[in-house]
Amino acid sequence: MKRSLVGIFVVFAFLLAGVSFAGAAPDKIVIGHPACLSGKYAKAGEQAVGGIKACVEWVNTTYGGVQVGDKKIPLKYKYYDCESKKEVVTSLIGRLVSVDKVNVIFAPYSSGLTLRGAPVAESRRILYMDHGGASNAIFRQGFRYIVQTIGPATRYHEGTLDMIHKIAPNDKRLALAYEDSEFAKMVMEGARDHAKKLGFEIVFERTYPKGVTDLTPLLSALKVSKPDLVLGGGHFEDGQLFNRQMADLNIDVNALSLIAAATLPAFYRALTTMAEGVMGPSHWEFGVKYSAEQAKATGLPWIGPSQDQFMALFKKFTKKDMLPDYHAAEAGAQVLAYVLGVQKAGSMDSTKVRQALGELKFMSFYGGWKVDESGMQVGHSMVDVQWQDGKRVIVWPEAAKTGKACYPMPTFEEKAKDVKAIPK
Amino acid sequence: MFFEQLGGNLIQGIVLGAVYGMATMGLSLIFGVLKVVNVGHGAFIMVGAFLTLFLFSSLGINPIIAIPVAFIVGMGLGLIFYYTTIRKLIKAPELATLLATFSIGVLLEELVKLIFGSEFRGYNWVVGKIDLGITVLPMSKLYACIGSVLIAVLLYLWFKKTRAGSAIRSVVEDSEGARVCGINVGWAYALSFSLGIGLTVASGVLLTMFIPVGINPYMGGAYTLKAFVIAVLGGLASPYGAFFGGLVFGLIENGSYTLFAYIPGVEPFALTRFLSFVILLVILLIRPTGILRAK
Amino acid sequence: MKQTQKYFPLIPLFAAYLFMFLLAENKEGMWQLMSMLLFYCALGQAFNVFMGMTGYVDFGYVAFMGVGTYGMALSITRLVQYEFLGAWILVIGFGLAMAMSTLLSMAVGAVALRLRGAYFAIATIGVNEGFRFLIEGARIWNGSEGMIFTADLNKILGRETAAALCTYWADIMVLAIAALAGFVSLVYMRSKIGYALTALREDEDAAKVMGINVTKFKIIAFITSACLAGLLGATAWALKTPYVFPPEVFDIHYTIEAIIIVMLGGAGTLLGPLVGGLVYGISKYYLSIFLPGFQLLIFAPVILVIIVLFPEGIVGMLKAKTKGTGMERFVI
Repeated sequence: MKRSLVGIFVVFAFLLAGVSFAGAAPDKIVIGHPACLSGKYAKAGEQAVGGIKACVEWVNTTYGGVQVGDKKIPLKYKYYDCESKKEVVTSLIGRLVSVDKVNVIFAPYSSGLTLRGAPVAESRRILYMDHGGASNAIFRQGFRYIVQTIGPATRYHEGTLDMIHKIAPNDKRLALAYEDSEFAKMVMEGARDHAKKLGFEIVFERTYPKGVTDLTPLLSALKVSKPDLVLGGGHFEDGQLFNRQMADLNIDVNALSLIAAATLPAFYRALTTMAEGVMGPSHWEFGVKYSAEQAKATGLPWIGPSQDQFMALFKKFTKKDMLPDYHAAEAGAQVLAYVLGVQKAGSMDSTKVRQALGELKFMSFYGGWKVDESGMQVGHSMVDVQWQDGKRVIVWPEAAKTGKACYPMPTFEEKAKDVKAIPK
Repeated sequence: MFFEQLGGNLIQGIVLGAVYGMATMGLSLIFGVLKVVNVGHGAFIMVGAFLTLFLFSSLGINPIIAIPVAFIVGMGLGLIFYYTTIRKLIKAPELATLLATFSIGVLLEELVKLIFGSEFRGYNWVVGKIDLGITVLPMSKLYACIGSVLIAVLLYLWFKKTRAGSAIRSVVEDSEGARVCGINVGWAYALSFSLGIGLTVASGVLLTMFIPVGINPYMGGAYTLKAFVIAVLGGLASPYGAFFGGLVFGLIENGSYTLFAYIPGVEPFALTRFLSFVILLVILLIRPTGILRAK
Repeated sequence: MKQTQKYFPLIPLFAAYLFMFLLAENKEGMWQLMSMLLFYCALGQAFNVFMGMTGYVDFGYVAFMGVGTYGMALSITRLVQYEFLGAWILVIGFGLAMAMSTLLSMAVGAVALRLRGAYFAIATIGVNEGFRFLIEGARIWNGSEGMIFTADLNKILGRETAAALCTYWADIMVLAIAALAGFVSLVYMRSKIGYALTALREDEDAAKVMGINVTKFKIIAFITSACLAGLLGATAWALKTPYVFPPEVFDIHYTIEAIIIVMLGGAGTLLGPLVGGLVYGISKYYLSIFLPGFQLLIFAPVILVIIVLFPEGIVGMLKAKTKGTGMERFVI
């Protein structure tokens, strides 16, 4: 019996020791990523992995590798599944840093998981790039190795308000109904402040809890306040529910904009005609007009694949008929930012690359990129998307738009009779 | 204004409550007969929801027809899980069945995820609406409500009027006694378990008729928790109690929002959820057999 | 049994923890993996104090960890302005974490401990969610925005010390909590509480008839277990990850993980949570590396097989096998 106990110990010791068998070749620059491939952020995680793979491929084949000194070094991408859980995030970052010897860590999706990994990256003094944590609070903590590609939450709905302020200056009754989560509350705060600046009257302001399955009571109260426009949302699932139940209750408004939901193709697939005319802000959308020519016009250096090339590469690395969304674009653009950072620093040393990234300004298919002192993204602006006849049309800002906005959107009764949102 | 809103919410609440009640009957039936708490309850609701989605989107089959289909699929699933796991654990400590049913739930979720992916889906079955003035009811919600009531009545009749039904009732009263009287208790267990799962999967169809969006492999968790509160309201071991518990719960969930909205500086929606857990604890404290004693 | 022999089972337990610590300390790249394993072991050990001995399943267990996290978070964010307190803020935080989890466990216990078996499980299943909705709904402690306090921690301890606390000392504290929970378990097992609770687990009515004050012992075990959870939340969550968001710290999955760990290892045994935590943590880690995305699909049937075929858990089986041999003293 003693022997079997000892045996168990030996097996454990062996399993634990097995952790450090693999080694990394020195002639590669390795990106490490505790990706969310299962659990609650699986959807966004899959997109991010696809986007990163696409851009790594572009750098290695089209671009020819990362220029450090007089050598072109290829990129390598190493990722594990963190199950969207914080315990796993830290242990995987530990492995990526010491076993796989990666040169940079790409943070997992969501502000919470990004925050979980930050102290570990900080203590290992390794660059930590955030493409999925939008909370402004991350950058108030004094981390020195963090750099953001996704834009901060407070700016999500500013563009929508600007647009309506311009095209319908008399529609001022605004209802805000967001999910009660750290991220959505920050969007709401930004929207509230901006709305007051533009002279909107906030007639309704409520939140609903995460994981809600029925919004009827909240929407009934919203209906009574008779708003012209409704801004809200939080995640994909509640956004879908929000739109659906507004239709169920015949709540007709001139404009409805939902964060994180309305821009995804699955949103229209689930709601079909009910989603006509519904808008949503997005970091990026397929169809945006960022190009090498536009970069030249604005005086920014351009790097990376064109939008169509990105799409083709993305499809090569994802099995299903998946289209890249902003999660993929953010993660991909982050690869490009890192490449430029290394080239600018002339080294893979995290401190130097971090410093170089602080001074970097460029444009890619994702749009502008520039961070402030704390590492927060300030160079990227959001676009607003509207569903028109089953297609996503970018309606704001003027510089990126692919079509005019349909305002006011058709009523739900009209939509049920198959009236499409076509701008006049 | 206040009463209009409250009235509107209560109408919505009672319609939703009927569906909630129906979605809990399976849980109570299984607990009543087998004394097994099905922690994987929500996963079976999810299976029903996906079945509806698949039948409607791919084959164009009306959700109403999906109800019996889901019921039969659920009975089959119930039998499989009963004979592979539950039967071996009936005499084991509670812990074992709690963990087993939980694992079954996870297994179903992951299998569905493997087949359909983790995307949130929905379908659009347009059958019109009725405007009641104070609120609007889509016909699909109304059908879901009527369907739930009908199923509850059918189950009641089945228990009262058939031999199998009365056999199960006698097992609930006293399983040893039933055995002595020549009732095959093992058979009664298997039947009740598969019936309970069948009801639960069918309730997934009704729930999507009520809320046809947000269908994804992990949607069941929210309903598991609600089902426990409802089951306790109804006395835990009685399927009809659960049905009335659902009605009460729907009323509380929707009605209390209007009241909480008058408290300044709070989020009324989250408080309605908090209230349901307070109710759970209070009932268990003062009257663990439930406030509604429908036998 | 001789007085000293009573505590022999602590030898393999502490040896294993020491072994893990030394391995992590000396082997490059092991630290973060070990910290995850230690967290699972500590979670199992703490959970086992109540569930293992009584057989009662507390689904709301994570709520105690949640309020513990809040205790530490509140202490740091609210006291940071009093500079003279210095590192004492952390000590106050631990005190607050224990006090808050104790209070919550008394409130929950007052209702739930009157109930038995399945009723107990159902009474506790909503505690974590309920508490989360109370915090969000009534906007207590910043409501849903939660608290992020790396900056505050830097201010209290200085940047270097704070970083060391998050990535090193917090893990050492988790180790200490795991060991403490193991020690407490054994003390309880070897004292009147353990015998009373074993009698209760076998047959609660008989235990009552025999004149054992089961309620008193149930409460003691329940509060102890909750208190350890509070400490674990304060270290493994608040100190290791300096933020707190309500939906994360009240996530029922941690309770489920605790149940799995205890069941894998063997409920009511001292070494069970250790073995269960290691097996669970290591398999989870390797699955996430070699089969990303399929962990749960593999775990679920494995657990089913274990429950049906080996309900005693790994240590339970070892215990049966070592009966009558010299090893008996060490395995419990």
